[in-house]
Amino acid sequence: MKLLLVEDEPELAKSIQQYLNVNEFICEWAATVTSALDKISNYEYDAILLDLMLPDGDGFEILNELKKQFKTDGVIIISAKETLETRIEGFNLGADDYLTKPFHLSELLVRIQALIRRKKFNGNNTIVFNEIEIDILSKTVKVNNFKVELTKKEIDLLLYFIGNQNRVLSKSAIAEYLSGDMADMLDNHDFVYAHIKNLKKKLKVAQCDDYIKTIYGLGYKWTNE
Amino acid sequence: MSNKLLHKTLQVYLVYSVIIFIIVAPLFYFLADKFYINNIDETLLNTKIEFVKITLPKLKNTDIPLWNKFNKNIKIKEYNEINSDTLFYTSYYDIEEQEKEPYRELNSTIIIDGKRYTFSFKINLIESEDLMLSIALLFFGLIIFMLLGLFFITKKLSIRLWKPFYQTLNQIEQFEIDKNMKPQFSTTSIEEFKRLNKSIENLIKKNSIIYENQREFVENAAHELQTPIAIFKGKLELLMQRSDITKGQADLLEDLNKSTNRLTKLNKNLLLLSKIDKNQFDEISSFQIKGLIEKQLDFFKEQATLKNITIEINLKDAVPVNTNITLTEVLVSNLFLNAIRHNILNGKIMLQLVGHKLVISNTGSPIAINSKSLFNRFSKSNSSKKGNGLGLAIVKKIADLNNWEITYSYSNSLHTFSVIF
Repeated sequence: MKLLLVEDEPELAKSIQQYLNVNEFICEWAATVTSALDKISNYEYDAILLDLMLPDGDGFEILNELKKQFKTDGVIIISAKETLETRIEGFNLGADDYLTKPFHLSELLVRIQALIRRKKFNGNNTIVFNEIEIDILSKTVKVNNFKVELTKKEIDLLLYFIGNQNRVLSKSAIAEYLSGDMADMLDNHDFVYAHIKNLKKKLKVAQCDDYIKTIYGLGYKWTNE
Repeated sequence: MSNKLLHKTLQVYLVYSVIIFIIVAPLFYFLADKFYINNIDETLLNTKIEFVKITLPKLKNTDIPLWNKFNKNIKIKEYNEINSDTLFYTSYYDIEEQEKEPYRELNSTIIIDGKRYTFSFKINLIESEDLMLSIALLFFGLIIFMLLGLFFITKKLSIRLWKPFYQTLNQIEQFEIDKNMKPQFSTTSIEEFKRLNKSIENLIKKNSIIYENQREFVENAAHELQTPIAIFKGKLELLMQRSDITKGQADLLEDLNKSTNRLTKLNKNLLLLSKIDKNQFDEISSFQIKGLIEKQLDFFKEQATLKNITIEINLKDAVPVNTNITLTEVLVSNLFLNAIRHNILNGKIMLQLVGHKLVISNTGSPIAINSKSLFNRFSKSNSSKKGNGLGLAIVKKIADLNNWEITYSYSNSLHTFSVIF
């Protein structure tokens, strides 16, 4: 899958590219509005990651251009600007999601995956990982075709893990993913442990392999090894 | 006790008037009395001279009883050894009034048919007392009338004179540097008040500029920090993905992760504060705080279970509030998380919402911080990693913005925050 990253900060762009390039994604980078517009008119992208403040203009110009060319590329705005006005303007111009800097790369990855899923599969929306099958719309999980009762948080957690498979996820990144804006006020991320413990237990009962590995000092990793 | 300016002026006038009154009243009485007695004495003497000149030559010894019979006040008595004219006070019993009445009397020696007699002429002073009383009353009335006039004129005049001053005072009282509302001073023709208004205007202008610069600085600093923090966070996440990390390196990475999180939170809170300052939360709606709390309750409960904290909740349908919902959410969650953060193991949190009041209490050891500076930015009871010292500052800011009253108290090992909205 092809992504376009429009970001003027080279170090951040490099990090995002590095994190996303690991498996299914090819991530191209444009640092200016001009080069981004150039790339957009020449290629098709599954998703565009768009910074709003660029050296030669505004990210909104790119959204306008996409509209003009009737392109339906999914757009996630990644910006340090966080006001209601910019959010509303972004969504009005056709952006699909809005992520405020600084964010966790793992969070960005699941957002891209969700966006692409929404764009590509209209209605039928399931994620399969070995014996696990998750229906995104009805929020149900099956293991070996048997339904497993999971809470909303546990399903979120499962999606997050599978989306970021083979990547080490820190406790704080998971906490932020699970609690959204509230995470900014938490100074204790131990509740993550409780959720992971419950998820592991429920999957084990359903005779699912244990894919969640604890990585000493760092966090957790979903791996098929 | 502080006095109002107008009262102070009036007070001085009043004291002055009372002093004048106390001094003048007896003096006036004394002088009036003296003049009156002088007048009476003159009448007595003149009457006597007239008597001696006109009546006496025609008077005979035998006329005396008849004279005395028909004259009430002028009597011719037996010689009583007084030779020269003598004036004195005396009193006589009045048959009609049945009481003793004061008199002024003149005794003088006259000679009728070669024999010496005493001429006695008396004037009743009762009438004079009545007269004196009338004069005194008139005088008091005049003085009181004058004082009242003085009082009201001064009051009216002072109010008119000081009106621009009070207008200026009201404007300053309403002025808040963090609200974007400059005071409007009314024009005045009085030089001093013109100067006062001008100086205050300049003072406010200067301070507003300084405040605005400070605010912008905090905002810009927080904004500019976002990108480097994002880069740092990204690199850290990438570093974590490496498969060759040793145990020691993992420990270091964990510490780095924690610090980065604190940095991120701090920065976000600073941004939030500057956004509130900039009035970016101006979308207002009417809603129930109860519903807002219930929505967040699961999250709070989850956080509380980590410390095995019991939560007691008593939510009544309170008065709906009319404000920004996001900020109110921040206020409630900040207070709640604060109650969890500074709680003890197996502690308790009590949440009560009734009428216009939201009360959150939590168990916990006393804090070593002045409850006044509790709401200041970065005032923390200890330098532990608990919180970032901005949570309560944000709470206070939101309360102030809504004109809600927030108070803190500590008693019976309970920290209590009350918000009256």
